[in-house]
Amino acid sequence: MFAYIVRRVIATIPVVAIVALFIFSLLYFAPGDPAAIIAGDQATPADVERIRASLGLDRPFVVRFVEWSWQVMQGNLGVSIFTNLPVSKMIAQRIEPSLSLMLLTLTFAISVAVPLGVLAAWKHGTWIDRVVMMFAVFFFSVPVFVVGYLLAYTFALQLDWFPVQGYTPFSISDPLPWLRNLVLPAAALGGAFVALIARITRATMLEVLSQDYIRTARAKGVSQRPILFMHALKNAAVPIVTIIGIGFAGLIGGAVVTESVFAIPGVGRLVVDAILRRDYPIIQGVVLMLSFTYVLVNLCVDLLYTLFDPRIRY
Amino acid sequence: MLQRRDFLKTSAAMTSALALPNVARAQASKLLRFVPQANLSSLDAVAGTQYVVRNAAFLVWDTLYGIDSALTPKPQMCEGHTVDAELKTWTFKLRAGLKFHDGEKVTTRDVVASLNRWMVRDTMGQIIKSRLDALEAIDDLTFRFRLNQPFSKMLFALGKNNAPVAFIMPERIAKTDPFKLISEYVGSGPMRFRADLWVPGANAVFDRYTDYSVRPEPADWLSGGKQMHFDRIEWKIMPDAATAGAALQSGEVDWWENPIADLVPLLRKNKNIAVDIADPFGNIGSLRMNHLHPPFNDVRARKALLMALDQQDYMQAVVGDNPDLWKRLPSFFTPGTPVSTEEGGDLLKGPRNYEAAKKLLSEAGLLGSKVTLVVATDIAITKAQGDVTADMLKRIGFEVDFVATDWGTLGARRAKKDPPSQGGWNIFHSWHAGADCVNPAPYTALDAGGDKAWFGWPKSDAVQAGILNWYAAADLGAEKLAMAALNKASFDNVTYAPTGFFLLYQAWRNSVSGVVKAPFPVFWGVQKA
Repeated sequence: MFAYIVRRVIATIPVVAIVALFIFSLLYFAPGDPAAIIAGDQATPADVERIRASLGLDRPFVVRFVEWSWQVMQGNLGVSIFTNLPVSKMIAQRIEPSLSLMLLTLTFAISVAVPLGVLAAWKHGTWIDRVVMMFAVFFFSVPVFVVGYLLAYTFALQLDWFPVQGYTPFSISDPLPWLRNLVLPAAALGGAFVALIARITRATMLEVLSQDYIRTARAKGVSQRPILFMHALKNAAVPIVTIIGIGFAGLIGGAVVTESVFAIPGVGRLVVDAILRRDYPIIQGVVLMLSFTYVLVNLCVDLLYTLFDPRIRY
Repeated sequence: MLQRRDFLKTSAAMTSALALPNVARAQASKLLRFVPQANLSSLDAVAGTQYVVRNAAFLVWDTLYGIDSALTPKPQMCEGHTVDAELKTWTFKLRAGLKFHDGEKVTTRDVVASLNRWMVRDTMGQIIKSRLDALEAIDDLTFRFRLNQPFSKMLFALGKNNAPVAFIMPERIAKTDPFKLISEYVGSGPMRFRADLWVPGANAVFDRYTDYSVRPEPADWLSGGKQMHFDRIEWKIMPDAATAGAALQSGEVDWWENPIADLVPLLRKNKNIAVDIADPFGNIGSLRMNHLHPPFNDVRARKALLMALDQQDYMQAVVGDNPDLWKRLPSFFTPGTPVSTEEGGDLLKGPRNYEAAKKLLSEAGLLGSKVTLVVATDIAITKAQGDVTADMLKRIGFEVDFVATDWGTLGARRAKKDPPSQGGWNIFHSWHAGADCVNPAPYTALDAGGDKAWFGWPKSDAVQAGILNWYAAADLGAEKLAMAALNKASFDNVTYAPTGFFLLYQAWRNSVSGVVKAPFPVFWGVQKA
């Protein structure tokens, strides 16, 4: 197992390297000019050109790529073109809100979606099944930002239960402000995720519930709850865990929108702002970090398989 | 062991605690939460000319002089000045006791270094530099410009609000290359920038500078006593207008610099919110043509656009149907200002004449020419103008290549002098703050110096002469004459096509008082109940 983990971690290096080359090339050849944005609308073309030169953006692709790669290999993601702050510091500033949002969303989504999916499978063909699937289709179809605006309008503006926007750092002594800021964004972001997991859970549970060993368990007089949660759900877990892992990428994309709608200072907003301003070091740094994270999440998912299915060995 | 009933009770208690009415939101009156027009990504208003950067810099840095609402420069960091009869030797004295936020005294060494950096980047500064024999510190509080030609606009240059602004920084910071952004934000203005609390793209914090030396006169824009009534001002960056509007309605922020027109009716309905015009100088919409390539390298094609261009269409597309928010502008200059003029603007007056425009294009052999119209569709003002222009161009017989892009891409593309077929352009849209169009000094877009001019590279000796005549004008009468001639020359050349004059709103909670109309948010004098 340990050797497998080491092999997988080592395997991330070429993946991240290819991502790095791809994103650097994409940004180099994409139109846009941070110098023009720094200079502002009133600056003359000559001013823009001088600023571009002072930033080193007029140097050839190879020179810039080699320089950046060397920095990254030394653990240095570079400095923001606009703020002059280290990219690693800017990412670090934004990690906590994004992680908080994702963890809360995942917790909310899994704790709601799995029981709903099990319930829908158990009550297959009844009105309960149809209602659950109707909600699943609805939340899967409505864009995250629409759900976000509706939640903010209802629960923040009309009912005044939660704040409209912002983020309060987590504090162990008083976590409520942190939670109050994240309830609506997590609900908005989690809606589609709940729908996805609930549908997969229902489908896999239906398949498992039709297996012979479940019929045998029922024939032996085992009650419904152990059948559902101990026998069926455990065997249905592998596809559910897989879809949670795959959905993590969707969660990152959704977080970008959610962070903008609820003005949460997370990594998603950081990268969107950077793309709009063409702040290349930040874009490259964040994409590298996200691709590395995604590879790690997939590794975790693979390792979780062994928990649910002892036949799987690495 | 946790029982189901206990679990339900605990969950219910937690839910009600979370959902308590938001009463704890009531903030101390010493904190102002402000939503600026855009993300604050740097603070260097000398190296860059972004308005949001300049607005933040006004909190942190101070200027030697500062204009008031009548555009008259008044002493700010300076105690006063003397000038010789020829307007060549300007001697200034700093007020005693001025200190930077790091506790160091402000001296003329800082002033000289700051002005040297500013003169490289600013248009007026460049003119001063071109006439400069020496800029010298006489003692710690006295410094002097020695010029080889008269320069009557010195005080305006030092006190104007247009970026690059002549901010005074510590010498060590002011020695930064003027084309590189500074990375240390130490000024002598009324607020200290808290770099340690800065989360670019989300939050910027300014704390009151307790050692700030407030002038005794009443504050008026950049002049007078900049009395701060807040211990802290937080800039909350909100890229989403709906979120900013909701935050203002719920009381999570106090002041929103630029609410979009669509949300204004909603904000007006809220009795806790005041909505008013932000900047009395407003903005001038701009249709910018590339003078290097066909068809707009021919002045007849540029004039045909003026004949067909209906400013009402543009302005209604930009600000909606409210007639209080816009007006026709047969001029390049901000209406209602001391030297504004409509001389030469006849082509923009009266009914639009598509047939005459077509005839002119036909005579020039340009009917049916292809026009590459590059439009930044991520900005409502440029998108609205671009749509109107596309329609207008088709009506007068052009073939339109509508290139929808974002502002970041447009910023790079408009700098290209290549033909449109090789990645260049024919037309793009922008707009200019009215405060930048009160006279030729801060008005980069009016310059017609060819290769050195703003994007589009218009060339007209008459325009350039008009600008120099304004600089040479010694009194208001002479300035008005120079401006009239300049406006006419600019229309003869069609340096660009003004698409109209429009105003934008600002909105704030009624608990906030003292908000004034100005080309930038004025924080001094503002209070919160």
